[in-house]
Amino acid sequence: MSSDNLSAVLYAKNDLRLENRPIPEPGPNEVLLRMAQVGICGSDVSYLTKGFIGDFVVKAPMVLGHEAAGVVAKCGANVKHLKPGDRVAIEPGIPCRMCDFCKGGKYNLCPDVFFCATPPDHGNLCRYYKHAADFCYKLPDHVSLEEGAILEPLSVGVHACRRAGVTLGSKVLICGAGPIGLVNLLTAKAMGATSVCITDIAENRLQVAKEMGADHTLLVSTGDAEALAKEIKELLGDMPDITIECSGAEPSIRLGIFATKSGGMMVLVGLGPPEVKIPIVNAAVREVDIRGIFRYANCYPLALDMIASGKVNVKPLITHRFKLEESAKAFETARTGAGGAIKVMISCE
Amino acid sequence: MDNEYPTLHGVGDMRMGKHPIPEIGPNDVLLKMSKVGICGSDLSLVYKGRLGDFNVPYPMGLCHEASGVVMQCGQKVMHLKIGDRVAVEPGGPCRICTFCKSGKYNNCPEACFHAGPSPTPGCLARYFKHTADLCFKLPDNVSQEEGAIIEPLAVGVHACRRAKVTLGSSVLICGAGPVGLVCLLSAKAMGATNILVTDIRENRLQTAKKMGAHSTLLVRNEMPEDLAKKVTKTMGCQPEITLECSGADDSIRMGIFATKSSGIAMLVGIGNPEVKLPIVNAAVREVDVMGVFRYINCYPIAIDMIAKGLIDVKPLITHRFKFEDYRKAFELFKSGEDGAIKCMISCD
Repeated sequence: MSSDNLSAVLYAKNDLRLENRPIPEPGPNEVLLRMAQVGICGSDVSYLTKGFIGDFVVKAPMVLGHEAAGVVAKCGANVKHLKPGDRVAIEPGIPCRMCDFCKGGKYNLCPDVFFCATPPDHGNLCRYYKHAADFCYKLPDHVSLEEGAILEPLSVGVHACRRAGVTLGSKVLICGAGPIGLVNLLTAKAMGATSVCITDIAENRLQVAKEMGADHTLLVSTGDAEALAKEIKELLGDMPDITIECSGAEPSIRLGIFATKSGGMMVLVGLGPPEVKIPIVNAAVREVDIRGIFRYANCYPLALDMIASGKVNVKPLITHRFKLEESAKAFETARTGAGGAIKVMISCE
Repeated sequence: MDNEYPTLHGVGDMRMGKHPIPEIGPNDVLLKMSKVGICGSDLSLVYKGRLGDFNVPYPMGLCHEASGVVMQCGQKVMHLKIGDRVAVEPGGPCRICTFCKSGKYNNCPEACFHAGPSPTPGCLARYFKHTADLCFKLPDNVSQEEGAIIEPLAVGVHACRRAKVTLGSSVLICGAGPVGLVCLLSAKAMGATNILVTDIRENRLQTAKKMGAHSTLLVRNEMPEDLAKKVTKTMGCQPEITLECSGADDSIRMGIFATKSSGIAMLVGIGNPEVKLPIVNAAVREVDVMGVFRYINCYPIAIDMIAKGLIDVKPLITHRFKFEDYRKAFELFKSGEDGAIKCMISCD
C-alpha cells in the first residue's frame, strides 16, 4: 500500500490545503477504505467560506468531505459482511449506539454522533479513511462508485419523504430545484407521488427538474406568497398534501405554508436563517404540520435499492468532475454554481 | 315562544334583540339553552373584531360553549327525545367534502361555527337549533354547567391526542388560563407523569397546582432560551411534548427551545398571525411544530371522563351570570380580575 494519503484539509475560513496525513489503522469493527468518489455539499462550501454552520465552528484543521464511496482495503477482526475489494457507499454519521435516541431508532439525533466533516470530526476527502463497517454498504456490480457517493444526498431525500408521509397518490410541492430539491423529486416520484410541482428562482434549474420528472414547474420571484399558492393549486388541480421545502429561504417557507392543504404536512429540509417570520396561525388553525429533518436514519439501504433497481436515475445530478488535487477548483465551482453545476464530484483515486 | 339573543354589531357593540324561534329540519333538534361559557376567542371577536385571519362579518351571534335541553326533534332524529339534556358540539361540517369524508370534519372549509350572517344566533340565546348528531346526551351525573365545559375540554382532548400524550409522557403546558387547564386535565387523564405549567401570574399557577400539575414555573422577563433551560431544570428533563396555550410570541419560541429533540410543539393558543420562530432549531432537532383546530370526535370521550370521575372540571367555573347580565360576564372575563377562569351565563 502506498504511503500517500493526500487529504483536503480545511485550516480556517478560505484556507484549504492539500497535505499528506497518516494512514489510519482500522479497529476490530471497522474497515480501511481506499477512497474513490466524494461529492461536495452546500454545507462543505459553508465551512470553507464561513468557517462555521450554526454552533459548529472550525477550530482545528479538519478534512472535508462526507458524501462518499470507496473500496475496502482492510477489514477489522470482527467484520464479516465485507472483504477487501468490495466497493461500498459510506454513511458518514456514526452514533453512540447507547443513548435513548440510538436505542429508539433515531440515531440521527444522537448528541454524541461522529459525523464526517462536521467540526471537529474529519471527513473522507482523502486517499485512505477508516469507518465503522456497519455503516459501509456494499454496492452491486452495476452501481458505480459515483452513484455510491450520491447515496448520501439521496438518503436526505428518503428521510424527508418518509417523514413527510409521501405515498401512492400524493400531491407534492417541492420548493427549490437545487440538488436537494432534485433528490426529493426523484424520491417522491419513486414513492408513488402522482403529481409533483417544483419551484425555483432560476429557469435553468426548472428545466433540469422537468427532465428529471417534475410534472409541473413554477418560476417564483420574491413575490406574493398567497398568489403563488393559488397558482400552485391551479397547476396541481388541488392544494398539495405535502410540501418539501428545500431552499431555507423565508419567502419560500411562507409560500409552502400558504400552499399546503389543511391537515397536510410541510417538511423543512433546507436550512437558511435561524429565525424566520412565519404565518403560524394560518398553519396552526389549518393543522398544517411543520416538521424538520436532520440528516437521515436507516435510509441508505432503501436509497441503494432505489438506484440498484433502476427506480431512480441519479446520474444527471453529477455535472462536474475533478481530481483530489484540483479540490480548490472543485469547491469554487460548487460555490458559484458555474456552468449549471448541480453535483460536483471529486475523484480520490 | 320568542327567541331572544344578543348580536355583535361592531367592536364592543353587543345588542340584545328579539327574534323568531328557528324552524328545524328532519335531522335537527331545537334546544332550550341552559348554560353558556365564554371563550378567549369570543373576547377577540367582540373586542378586536377579528380572530387570527378571520374578520367578523357583522352582525354576528355570540358564544359556542353550551348545553341545553331538547324541546323538539326532527322526524329523522332517533337518539334524542324531548327533555334530554345535551352538550352542544358547535360547527356545521358539510359532510360531503373530502375532509368530512375522511374523518377530519374540523378542517371542513364550509364549517360555520355558530356565527354566520344574521339572524343566525350564536349559542348565547334562549333557543338554538342544531344538527342532532352534534348534540350529545349528558348522563344523569353530569350537570348542565359541566355540559357547557365539554367544548373547551374537547379542545384539550384533541390537542393531547394530536400531540400523542400518553402514559409516561413529559409535558410542558405554557399558559394556565382555561385552555392550559383543560390541557392539563386531559394530559393527566391520558397518563402524563411529569407536567410543568408556566404562566405570568402566580394565582393561575396555584390553580394549576390544585388541578394536578406536578410542577409550576412563574415566567418573568427571561429570554426564551433561558426560560427553556429553567423548564428542563424544574422538570428534570426536556419535555417530549409542549402544549402552547397562550399564543404569545415569546412563549411559542420558548416552547420550541424547551422541547426535546424528536418531540412535538403543539400550538393550541392563537395570537399574532405572524410570528418570528427559531425554525432551524426546531427543524434540525426534528421538533414538529403542529397546530390544532377545534376537535374531532372528542365529545363522547370528554363527557365520559367527567361522568366516570376521571376529570373534575368544576373548579374551572368561577363566576355565574344571568342572561340579561351577559355584558358583565364579558367584561369580567376580559379583565381577568377576581381569578376569573370560566364565566358561565344562564340562559334559562
